[in-house]
Amino acid sequence: MSNNDHSNHPHHNQDHSHHHIVSTKTALTVAGSLFFLTVLTVVVSRVDLGVWNFPVAMLVATVKALLVMMFFMDLIHDAPENSVIFGAGFLFLVIFFILTASDLFFRGNVYVKAGTPLVATSGRSSLKNPWISTPELVSHGKELFSQNCVTCHGPEGLGNGVAAAGYNPPPRNFHSQTGWINGRKPSNIFKTLKEGIPGSGMASFGTLPIDDRWALAAYVVSLNSERPASDTQEDVAKIGYDLKTGLAAGGARQEEKTIPIEFAIERMAVAEPAPAHGALGANERGFTSVGGQLYQARCAQCHGEHGEGGVRVRSLGGMPKAYITTAPLLANRESLKSADAFNHVVENGLTGREMPGSADLSGGELSELYTHVKWLAGQLH
Amino acid sequence: MSSTHESAYPVHHVGHHFNNASDEFEAAKQGMWVFLVTEILMFGGLFVAYGIFRGMYPEMYVEAHHALQMKMGALNTIVLITSSLTMALAVSATQRGKKQRAIGMMAATIFLACCFLVVKYFEYSHKFHEGLLPGAFYSNTEITNPKAPLFFSLYFMMTGLHGIHVLIGIGLISWMILRSLRNEFSENFYTPVELVGFYWHFVDIVWIYLFPLLYLVS
Repeated sequence: MSNNDHSNHPHHNQDHSHHHIVSTKTALTVAGSLFFLTVLTVVVSRVDLGVWNFPVAMLVATVKALLVMMFFMDLIHDAPENSVIFGAGFLFLVIFFILTASDLFFRGNVYVKAGTPLVATSGRSSLKNPWISTPELVSHGKELFSQNCVTCHGPEGLGNGVAAAGYNPPPRNFHSQTGWINGRKPSNIFKTLKEGIPGSGMASFGTLPIDDRWALAAYVVSLNSERPASDTQEDVAKIGYDLKTGLAAGGARQEEKTIPIEFAIERMAVAEPAPAHGALGANERGFTSVGGQLYQARCAQCHGEHGEGGVRVRSLGGMPKAYITTAPLLANRESLKSADAFNHVVENGLTGREMPGSADLSGGELSELYTHVKWLAGQLH
Repeated sequence: MSSTHESAYPVHHVGHHFNNASDEFEAAKQGMWVFLVTEILMFGGLFVAYGIFRGMYPEMYVEAHHALQMKMGALNTIVLITSSLTMALAVSATQRGKKQRAIGMMAATIFLACCFLVVKYFEYSHKFHEGLLPGAFYSNTEITNPKAPLFFSLYFMMTGLHGIHVLIGIGLISWMILRSLRNEFSENFYTPVELVGFYWHFVDIVWIYLFPLLYLVS
């Protein structure tokens, strides 16, 4: 706006005669509604609506925001394209959120693709009525249990495995009769193995072959002194098991899922703890020294046989597909720089991480373990 | 809007690149809407971060939000809504050519904005005192959840960015009072006041969402 030549600007007055002016009455009514909605949202937040508290609070906030936009900013009398422009801002925000959330919450599914399964699962049970326990099933289940479950649930299934201290809620004690989230029948346990329990440390074991899961269910049931009621056909149908074809819940499609090759190798390594450690080469020290044996008994389940880490120790709440994994025991870790630092971590664990403390080790054992872990760290490069 | 133009009612001159005053007004307004979209997206990054972390650590949010003073948040919501009301009335008064009333309403808006900041000051000093600070500065020991510093990082980033907007808003409204005193606005020209009004209502909308997200977690 220059002031030097007014004659070039013939339009000294603007014509705003078409412009709508918000009346005082409208403004006061809108403000009154906003006050009311503010009080309402505070009151509603004090009432327990379960999962609905959050959507209701957001709905009230959105109604308030719309009132401000429509009347204070007078969008209802503005050119429609301005509503489109402003609305697009919110639309992009929603897209931003959905894309980010879908990446985070479903990242694990990127690796799950149809194809030749790395873990052989036919999706079809080879047994006639796999929910009915047999001695063979129980003994096979026991073997699987020792490979997959003891870290958390303990060797006797008392929920006191070495990693148990890191979990809240704690791992299930299979000898208890109460508090089973999905129930205690074989079909219930099969469901838990398939889906995991969101919000707890129980991950999905859906990659285990279907009959292995029935075997585990049979073994877990056998641990309890009080047997649950037998599964009826309805119970089995409820978890999506097709009685005619023996196809498991979700159909064969679910079972064709594959897992990342690193994870498959890791699974097999856990399943066969024989000293066949390829890349690093068999080294006697790892299994014969006092420190090495302690390490294998206490640490290897989570830190890996060679301290390489990468073991999934916790599934993140509400997102069974995302995991916290252990890091390699590299020599530059603070806890490996001195025996005192090491002993402190081993004895007390790490609060808020998944590292439980082991206060029962003697000074000599700690020293042996420290030597061994230092040696392992030296091997990792 | 020159200071050398000394008539009692300085006249706004339409830019030479516009056909008429109406086009100029509509273009300015549309530009403001586009600017507000960029504002949505700037706050949007923080809102998305808030949502993602809430999905990951729902219990932590519930525990950490108890450290916020809900009554102060509610009070500030009422204060900010009232300021939106006075700003809307200031815009209407300007559009009707009622200069005194417009200036009074804008002064009231600034007063309420200052009240908001005073309440915020008390809230912030309470947090500082309790060691409820973002990330590495966090030193509170009463909240047990180890992820709690994250909540306070988000709290300070979101309310801080909003607070900066309140400060800018105070500056803009003061400028509008000044221009109004210089008789720059009339029922024929009030574009700047209306656009500052939009800005102020946007600041209100952001707070309308921040209040339930930060203070009413359940």
